[in-house]
Amino acid sequence: MSTFVIGFYTILIAASAGLAYFKQDRWFMMIFSLTLISFITGIIGGAQALRSIAIFVALLAAAAGVSYTFKEFLIRIASPNVAKELRTAPLTAAFGMFVIFTYAIAGIFAPIIAPFGEAEVISSAFAPADANMLLGADQLGRDIFSRIIFGARNSVGIALMATMLAFISGALAGLLAAVKGGWFDQLMGRLADVIMSIPSLIFSLLMLSIFGTNMTVIVIVVAIIYSPRVFRLTRAVAGNIVVMDYVEAAKLRGEGDWYLVRREILPNSTAPLVAEFGLEFCFVFLLIAGLSFLGLGIQPPTADWGSMVRENATLISFGDITPLIPAAAIALLTVAVNFVVDWMLFRSSGLKEQ
Amino acid sequence: MGDLLTLVAKRLGYGLLTLLVVSILIFFAVELLPGDTAQAILGQSATPDTVAALREELGLNQPAYIRYFDWLFGAIRGDLGVSAIPPHQPVISVIGPRFTHTLFLAAYAAVIAVPVAISLGVIVALLRNTVFDRVANVLTLTSISSPEFFLGYILILIFAVKIPIFPALATVPTDVSFGELLYRTFLPALTLVLVVTAHMMRMTRAAIINLLASPYIEMARLKGVPPWKVIVKHALPNAWAPIINVVALNLAYLVTGVVLVEVVFVYPGVGQLLVDAVSKRNFPVVQAVSLIFAATFILLNLAADVGSILTNPRLRHPK
Amino acid sequence: MSKFRKSDVLLDIKDLQIQGYSNETWIDIIKGVDLTLHRGEVLGLIGESGAGKSTIGAAAMGYARDGTRISGGTIEFDGIELTTATQSEKRALRGSRIAYVAQSAAASFNPAHKIIDQHTEAPVQYRLRKRLEAQEDAMELYERLRLPNPKEIGFRYPHQVSGGQLQRAMTAMAMSCRPDLIIFDEPTTALDVTTQIEVLAAIRDIVDQFNTAAIYITHDLAVVAQMADTIKVLLRGEEVEQASTEEMLENPQEDYTKSLWAVRSFKRPQKSRPTDGTLPIISVKNVDAAYPGGDKVLDDVSFDIYPGMTVAVVGESGSGKSTVARCITGLLPPSAGEVLYNGDVLPPKYTSRTRDQLRQAQMIYQMADTALNPKVKIHEIIGRPAAFYSGLKGTALKQRVDELLDLIELDPALFYNRYPPELSGGQKQRIGIARALAAEPDFIICDEVTSALDQLVAEGILKLLDRLQKELGLAYMFITHDLATVRSIADEVVVMQYGKVVEQGPKDEMFKPPHHPYTDLLLSSVPEMDPNWLTTVLEERGVDNIGEGADV
Repeated sequence: MSTFVIGFYTILIAASAGLAYFKQDRWFMMIFSLTLISFITGIIGGAQALRSIAIFVALLAAAAGVSYTFKEFLIRIASPNVAKELRTAPLTAAFGMFVIFTYAIAGIFAPIIAPFGEAEVISSAFAPADANMLLGADQLGRDIFSRIIFGARNSVGIALMATMLAFISGALAGLLAAVKGGWFDQLMGRLADVIMSIPSLIFSLLMLSIFGTNMTVIVIVVAIIYSPRVFRLTRAVAGNIVVMDYVEAAKLRGEGDWYLVRREILPNSTAPLVAEFGLEFCFVFLLIAGLSFLGLGIQPPTADWGSMVRENATLISFGDITPLIPAAAIALLTVAVNFVVDWMLFRSSGLKEQ
Repeated sequence: MGDLLTLVAKRLGYGLLTLLVVSILIFFAVELLPGDTAQAILGQSATPDTVAALREELGLNQPAYIRYFDWLFGAIRGDLGVSAIPPHQPVISVIGPRFTHTLFLAAYAAVIAVPVAISLGVIVALLRNTVFDRVANVLTLTSISSPEFFLGYILILIFAVKIPIFPALATVPTDVSFGELLYRTFLPALTLVLVVTAHMMRMTRAAIINLLASPYIEMARLKGVPPWKVIVKHALPNAWAPIINVVALNLAYLVTGVVLVEVVFVYPGVGQLLVDAVSKRNFPVVQAVSLIFAATFILLNLAADVGSILTNPRLRHPK
Repeated sequence: MSKFRKSDVLLDIKDLQIQGYSNETWIDIIKGVDLTLHRGEVLGLIGESGAGKSTIGAAAMGYARDGTRISGGTIEFDGIELTTATQSEKRALRGSRIAYVAQSAAASFNPAHKIIDQHTEAPVQYRLRKRLEAQEDAMELYERLRLPNPKEIGFRYPHQVSGGQLQRAMTAMAMSCRPDLIIFDEPTTALDVTTQIEVLAAIRDIVDQFNTAAIYITHDLAVVAQMADTIKVLLRGEEVEQASTEEMLENPQEDYTKSLWAVRSFKRPQKSRPTDGTLPIISVKNVDAAYPGGDKVLDDVSFDIYPGMTVAVVGESGSGKSTVARCITGLLPPSAGEVLYNGDVLPPKYTSRTRDQLRQAQMIYQMADTALNPKVKIHEIIGRPAAFYSGLKGTALKQRVDELLDLIELDPALFYNRYPPELSGGQKQRIGIARALAAEPDFIICDEVTSALDQLVAEGILKLLDRLQKELGLAYMFITHDLATVRSIADEVVVMQYGKVVEQGPKDEMFKPPHHPYTDLLLSSVPEMDPNWLTTVLEERGVDNIGEGADV
């Protein structure tokens, strides 16, 4: 047995014992189950498997450390009210915020961070990584690392635009439907039903085949596809508020619809709407990534993560993970947003179950 | 029972109406094409003669509403027109075998995913706020956040390239045994299972936990009912409606969302056909596939609604 | 106390402390309460909302609700210490030896199972009875609790049975294992008075018959006086005093207890209609109304409200009393008939009324929590109507808001910039009143304004409303089911049942018999402080008649 294996088990068992002694039940259970899993994988996969586990755990610990320090940093710079909320954030949510922050920096400062331009051909096709190109070159000889950085701007930017468009139109329609009721409410509800009864990917493919695949069309089509979701949620949230006595009081005072929406309903529905914005972004982002992957979304030479996966997919069969990197970038951001949304939903639903 | 039947009948009628509206939408969306459809299909380089020939062939010389009704009644009889790409095969014969493949893959994934997801959902609800629940939460969130092609390629990388035990490409020759078929399509099915299981599991958990705050659950606890029985006997029967809905939603997703998975694994299903048709602007095929997918989607939602109506004790046992 | 021997102690709670989780910290909600209960004894636990009575009830079963925890003290049930017992030990007691009857039977029965299946769950699980025996036993208990069709009713689903019957079925369920102790957690609070009386009678009888000990939790003194041998008064998680029921009623020791008793003393002289030909300020004429797609909920309703007078509209839930208010305000246009304001017909829908017409009729709501927008500051809530109707701005508006806050006896300096969730229930209700006053109306509809408030606070609100009426000459329409409120503040009474006006007239006449049978039933069903009231009423009515008029 190598010293690595001995050290590996010693650390795990010592940690478990220590945690058990100090009655850190949750952590003890986690570390000890990891020890047991390591026993099994160690027998099957040998030292190599244990090494992978060690790397995985180290990554996890690093992520936890970064999340924790980032959360503490945010708490210190935030106003007292926000800081109080932030204190309740679990590590996953802090991790999410950190990732979103990183992506935002990458997207905003892409031209400064990226060593090469997004369409700049600098070497031969599929050139391997070297000191110049961190991740090697793609099928046309462009720097993959630079394209991923630019992708943060293009892929996220277009998804954000579509989300905002979907959100504003859906939320506005939902709020008005709740306040006005009657035929407007009915009509909007039926319209939402019809749009939602066509599968989103199919609907967008149909529309893109007709109007062609340019940026504006993608943004508008995706916004149309997802606005009914926002509409339904807003309508439901606002519907619960409209029946409140204070809204009735305002109606009986003779206030107009716009006042009701602005002063009575919106201030009371921000929490679920913000969470929905996050969820909506995930859906939109994944749909656009899917379209790009099919070659029907963002068009070359614009750097975009979905299309990058498709362009380099052949490398997979050689065991090269490069095409997985843009896919992982997509997954990571979606996971991050979902972590934050999960926490916000938990906060707004209250402590139902201890 | 009268009320229940009326409710179900109303829901059915509404579903049919939605389908009709959707069919209008699908048909007339193509009419929005700038300029002439035949010209658009053939491109600028086509000669006027070929354009005219295609117009004739596609029946474009008739008014739109007549063509719509022709198309709709044709679709009901199973005649979906002819492909706009030579050799102009009937659309139905292009779609037919591929649709079977898609349904097979969806069913394969569903048979694994639905029971696993519901039982895991119940278990996580029972173990809520334990380490197990937290880990499950993170894993399921990660799974639903990942694009299908990401999961698909990871599976290919691990199970076809690094440890070559499954084929990377899910080709299905006509003369293979059922077992061989299951083996060849295992990776795409697994990709789908990963995505939908996570979603269904989360919703099942949420539906049950939602009910745990109800006074009747507290009553059951104060009657000395053990925790697992509180969940299985008192919460679960009331959680069927949301669970059925999420199952239907995911089944619908399985049928329609396979597009990406089919492309990753080069599986000969309708999804691939659709992507191909879209890039070649083969509108009769696009319309037909869209209509079939929409119909599946609407039917499954309809089934879910009827299911939740039928499992509601207040409706099942009227006063 | 002499009735019970020391050796018969069943439940002994000492220095109980319970904490609740709110705003990220644990705060004490029960601060050291002792409680001793003997076999066969019924202890009444009374207090206002937030006193912690329900929390103590749950703790008596060793149960802490979500978001609470038992942080100190001991709970000994028949020799078993519940604070240190394991979950499964505690579970073995629940249902079998300690049973629970919840406030809302409709919500506490599982909608997915038949009543009798839920009844037999505990006895079958504890192997006390076979399923069929347990069913037989359930039917017998249903009969003892005077449920109609005792052989058949258990095979229905909860939603197929009325509220009063469900509450009795739940009591039967609690009895299914013949427990030593039953916790009754406000079992009649959600019921109408005429239904309440039969449930009270049924509970009292069955507890007597099986000599079961009980903790009866309620906020209603008159109810507890009928049920309990001993009464314990709680205030904000602490005991105020404890004594036998007779002693407590005759000779309360603590000031707080005395003040509880004194609540119903507020009275004001009754006014009569003006005789100089003044028109009624609001006149409801032959109004019919129905909700869209529903049955008729109002049928030929007519009554008048004169300036400066208070008209109480009374009735049980479903009588249509709140619907009348919706017709007057124009939220629900009547399907026939009309509403007159100072002799002029008001447009049926509020959207077609002028600003001035809207201004003159204001509304105060039952739940101050939902009546005030939680995200809007107090000065805007009160200031908006003043700005909206009178066009006040800047300092003039601020002055008006201060004036209004003074009027409702809240210090402007303290409340001007606060949000509703920071206020207590009574303060919120006062803000609701100020908002109505800001419009300078002639007529205010008060929809159950005191029923969500504790008695002392309610008293303060009634006094305030009375003062405002004198100072500003307002007319009130009081919608209420609480006859004590009617006695203290009304000039005229309108009694409603099933959407019809059953009877109306000046208050003094209404409280003197003879009357329409429904008025009689309603009046006689309101519990009184006398511990023998229930017995007397039941004797007067004859046991067989209890359910009449309530069980329909």
